[in-house]
Amino acid sequence: MSIEAINEQLLRAIGVGVALIDLQTLEVRFRNDTFDGWFASDGPPGTLPDLFPDLELETLRADLAQDKTFNAELSFKLRRRTMTVAMEFNRAVDAGENIAVLVCQNITRIKELESMIDAYSMMVERNTHEIKREKEQVERLLLNMMPRAAYEEYKTFGVVSPRLFDPVSVLAIDFIGFDDVLSKHDPGVIVSELNDIYSGFDRIGAQFSCQRIRTNGDSYLAVSGVPDPNQDHANAVAQSAIRFLRFLERRNASHPIRWVARIGVASGSVLGSVVGSQNYIYDVFGETVSGALRHRGAAGDMSIVTDAAFASLVQNGFEATAREDGLFGLIERTEQAGTG
Amino acid sequence: MEKTLFDKYGGFSTVSRIVLTLYDRLLEDDDLGPFFDDVDLPGIIDHQTKFVSSLMGGPASFGDDHIARAHSHLTINPHHFDRLKDLVTEVLADFDVDPVDIEAVVGAFEARRPLLVETPNVD
Repeated sequence: MSIEAINEQLLRAIGVGVALIDLQTLEVRFRNDTFDGWFASDGPPGTLPDLFPDLELETLRADLAQDKTFNAELSFKLRRRTMTVAMEFNRAVDAGENIAVLVCQNITRIKELESMIDAYSMMVERNTHEIKREKEQVERLLLNMMPRAAYEEYKTFGVVSPRLFDPVSVLAIDFIGFDDVLSKHDPGVIVSELNDIYSGFDRIGAQFSCQRIRTNGDSYLAVSGVPDPNQDHANAVAQSAIRFLRFLERRNASHPIRWVARIGVASGSVLGSVVGSQNYIYDVFGETVSGALRHRGAAGDMSIVTDAAFASLVQNGFEATAREDGLFGLIERTEQAGTG
Repeated sequence: MEKTLFDKYGGFSTVSRIVLTLYDRLLEDDDLGPFFDDVDLPGIIDHQTKFVSSLMGGPASFGDDHIARAHSHLTINPHHFDRLKDLVTEVLADFDVDPVDIEAVVGAFEARRPLLVETPNVD
């Protein structure tokens, strides 16, 4: 076997499609087996435009005339499979003839993998997006249940250690005749009303750095000075208390259910912690909390009651009136002459 | 949380190989190949990737509605479905997936048979 014959044998056998093109006539002079397997025809070799109608022949000719490489990519169906080959045309340097060598690499697998990575990335992106949204929802929910600092601590360490906050002020509010209101209205209505009212309290509290700690039925408890210290905690709580009542008065004027509240406020220290291992609830404990609850019990319709210690902290803008039981009624000074 | 088969067998790295193998066999299969005649390449790959991934508990899970809708224009007969189950079993076995896990995957697939297969009028 001659060297030429061996070369041709090799050329036929390799897994790359090879063809020789006459650049004058664009006739295919030679095709190896792989090329035939892809662009098979049992007839004569054919011409380039016959085989690849979409090929930009002008550019091909121009590039090759300047001894440049011309590249193209071609997709076609082989049986059911979408095949993609990368074509590379080079002018044969040898010989006086104007011949181009066409080499076709099968890049089908690469294309398939690219498609798969695209499909997979989209799936993963969508999942990541969903997970992020769920995480935000959980975070929002947890932030409703505990202060951000406690949440951050919980996220990092898995626990929230009890912490003493001192000094702080506590506000406790509930509604007089709540059982009566309950019995007269649909529970759904009550829930919706409380939701609206508590949201209002939350908004007011936020203005004065006074944070809701918990609600229990008609009982709403808020604190100023937890978890971030607040020098002006007593005023924050007093301001919130006055505005809670004002908010209710305005609301009562335009709503069918008339809510009559009473408020107790106190200052001192509290212990803040997450309690429970299954149902996490952030709560505050201590004599100050009990004091506020006790004062609330002593308060009349739409009034605020406190003790001497708290009263001494809120002289500006408020007026504390001593009561017979030793406690103090608290009102806003500017409201003295007003309608309230 | 229990580890999904997707994680157990190496995540995307393995699933991508399973997908390509299944894809090869599906296209070459005389019964099932024709279903993919008019589907373009990204379409088929997308289909296969999501299909295998969700069967193995990876990302991409489809509601039954989605599956039913995506196949509603096809006439899939019981023997097509059986053939696909066979192919899935073969490919998973080739990738050394434990028989019990193959059973789980094929079982999940079988559970969705009514969504895809036309109910035969006669037996």
